[in-house]
Amino acid sequence: MKSFRDRLISLLPEVEKPARYTGGEWNTPEKSGNVKARFCFCFPDLYEIGMSNLGLQILYSEINAHEDYAAERCYAPKADLAEKMRSNGIPLLSLESGTPLKEFDVVGFSLQFELLYTNILYMLDLAGIPFYSRDRGEDFPLIIAGGPCAVNPEPFADFFDCVVVGEGEGVDFALLRLVEEGKSKGWSKRRVLEEAKKIGGVYVPSLHEEGETVVKAVVADFENSVYPVNPLVPNVEAVHERVTLELYRGCASGCRFCQAGYYYRPIRERSAEKCAEYAKQAVESTGYGEISMCSLSTGDYSGLKELMDRLRGFVHDKHVNLALPSLRLSSFSGEMAQESRRSSLTFAPEAGTQRLRDVINKNVTDAEIDNIGKAFEAGYSNVKLYFMLGLPTETDEDIAGIAEICRRLRGLYVATTGKRNLTVSVSCAVFIPKPCTPFQWEAQISMEEMLRKQNYLRGLLRAIKGVTFSWHGAESSVLEAALARGDRSLSAVIVRAYESGARFDSWTEQFDWNAWTRAFADCGADINRFTGAIDPDADLPWDFIDTGVSKKYLKAQRELAYLGVTTKNCREGCNGCGANKLGRCTII
Amino acid sequence: MKVLKYLRLGNARFVSHIDVLRQAARILRRAEIPVKYSQGFNPHALVFFSPPCSVGVGSLAEYVAIDTDMSAEEVMERYNAAVGADMRAVKSFDVAGNPNLAGRIVAADYLFPCPVGSYAAEKGLRIEFSKKGETVCEDATERIFGVSEKDGLTVLTLAAGNVTLRADRVFDAFRREGLCAGALPDTLKLAQYVRAENGVLRDVDDYLSSFPTV
Repeated sequence: MKSFRDRLISLLPEVEKPARYTGGEWNTPEKSGNVKARFCFCFPDLYEIGMSNLGLQILYSEINAHEDYAAERCYAPKADLAEKMRSNGIPLLSLESGTPLKEFDVVGFSLQFELLYTNILYMLDLAGIPFYSRDRGEDFPLIIAGGPCAVNPEPFADFFDCVVVGEGEGVDFALLRLVEEGKSKGWSKRRVLEEAKKIGGVYVPSLHEEGETVVKAVVADFENSVYPVNPLVPNVEAVHERVTLELYRGCASGCRFCQAGYYYRPIRERSAEKCAEYAKQAVESTGYGEISMCSLSTGDYSGLKELMDRLRGFVHDKHVNLALPSLRLSSFSGEMAQESRRSSLTFAPEAGTQRLRDVINKNVTDAEIDNIGKAFEAGYSNVKLYFMLGLPTETDEDIAGIAEICRRLRGLYVATTGKRNLTVSVSCAVFIPKPCTPFQWEAQISMEEMLRKQNYLRGLLRAIKGVTFSWHGAESSVLEAALARGDRSLSAVIVRAYESGARFDSWTEQFDWNAWTRAFADCGADINRFTGAIDPDADLPWDFIDTGVSKKYLKAQRELAYLGVTTKNCREGCNGCGANKLGRCTII
Repeated sequence: MKVLKYLRLGNARFVSHIDVLRQAARILRRAEIPVKYSQGFNPHALVFFSPPCSVGVGSLAEYVAIDTDMSAEEVMERYNAAVGADMRAVKSFDVAGNPNLAGRIVAADYLFPCPVGSYAAEKGLRIEFSKKGETVCEDATERIFGVSEKDGLTVLTLAAGNVTLRADRVFDAFRREGLCAGALPDTLKLAQYVRAENGVLRDVDDYLSSFPTV
């Protein structure tokens, strides 16, 4: 009898990009079958997306660093393979050993984005695992979730035995060891969950009691925390093929719409010496031709100049590029432009006028936008700009400001270079009020208003030469908002949407709005309840999650937003958000 | 120029040629093989491959030419330390100049998981494939240069390079006839050939061995 894996291999010639499903990537750790416990990381999106996720590589390498434990991976297969697996009776398998997910001790889903929720069910379904934790008996692995979406775990809480809130380093491994201990002592699943609940950052939905709080897990010693110096190198082209260097966690900017900026507090910087050492090791072990200096606002990293000095000779000798994503306009310098020579520069002013930027606390001034002139001097002729439509208090004047910025950049380019070949790509997302931000109570604009604003801006930009405009879909933005601020009632909606065919909702061509509207209707749920304004005094589904930042601080920030008053960058002095109760902000 | 003959087995069978090209830059960087770069506005590493192998088909005879001053032995040693067993190099050659394998290779031997006698020259072979959403039927007989056998299975010498006959399409033709005892990944490229001056096929190993060295 052929193994599941051998049967899967024989199907691969008939599917697109079969190397997604073989495993065997460079740097895959070799593990014997005699480990004490096994963890399978599930990424509910395609291989090329999941392979670009640093968080998963960190947690994977942390577990595999222990000889007696093994971490494996599984990504969502595309429909072509999924259909063949179903018709051939092959369950979802891990890449490393071809083991069915059901046979692992712990299966952990990484939830990066609300529009991936149906893919949790898609993967569980393919694995032959019941969706609801209450329907899974003792024979099923512990099914857990983590990642940024855990900031409000309620919409998917019914699917999981545990949810890791906050940073997974140490926590996932602790859960794996706990399951191993439970196995050796013959504990029931309930006993394992009772013990799991005692681990910091672990939320056990089935045992959670009214009034209990789950405090976000935080890596205290970020300087010495796990970094994958031998990351897996993808078999097929991934969205990011580069060494991703995490310079620091958290963000000092305090943009009021930004969930990551609040969720990943306190700020913890890694020394330039350590970052340089990790970057060199990772380039040597992978052969990547690019180092991406990542964090929520790279230009704010205190050690950036020292780091670039430390890497300058190395990147030259190895023909390696340095990439600086997530730059804030105020932190951008001409020197950076010269060091990280790329085809285009990306900035996120987020709003078109100073007034609205003050409301959202995006501390970027018009004068700083003129800073892009330094990039033009360095030879750049393509600029990408990210904005949001539908921000609280936004007027058409703010939208017209976006076009004005483009016009000003064009003038600046002509004045700097004497040429007229500048291209500006404007990308506009729709504002989505996210939990644990000062804007968590705000209403999202209606779908009609989204379309009107998009059309208005498109008309304005059409009149400017060299400007292209792209925007996010209105329906998917509404869904994202609903799922972000949803409660437990949404698990039934997610199941219904999946049963109606929704999956890979983050892929525009696969997004099925009808499946979702039907699902909401079938479950008697009103989507507007989750996207409309929320009374600031009302209880919120995610109130029991303690991110460190107090609700009082969020409310105060909201009031400042309406007054158009900015809050200073945390690097200029502590604003007292409360996050430092979970760990000291460390700025080197 | 140093040429490596390498394998494409196991998981490597499923990596497309475009991804092989992408991987090559990483392999050479982690192997610390000092590759020469083209001179120009957008310099690229001087690395050249033999013609692509169909996705899903294995090979014992893929070739890559690398412009470097390092000795062929050391290139092979370093290369093998930087790849998995599925892509291991089995031979190295030191040649003067670019042997232009992509342009010169004209044929390759493939072992098909089909019993001896699956292909009869007098019957010929028709292949079917999809092109821009339409099914195309072609007579491929003229692109089959030879028939032989190995371990009771069929070996065909198929056209390769500029005029090519893809092994996966031949496999599909056999499968439609119910002749296959295995799956496409059981198909294996055994050798590649250039055309000698006298018109006969010459194994690439032999061609490279007789190529002038520096």
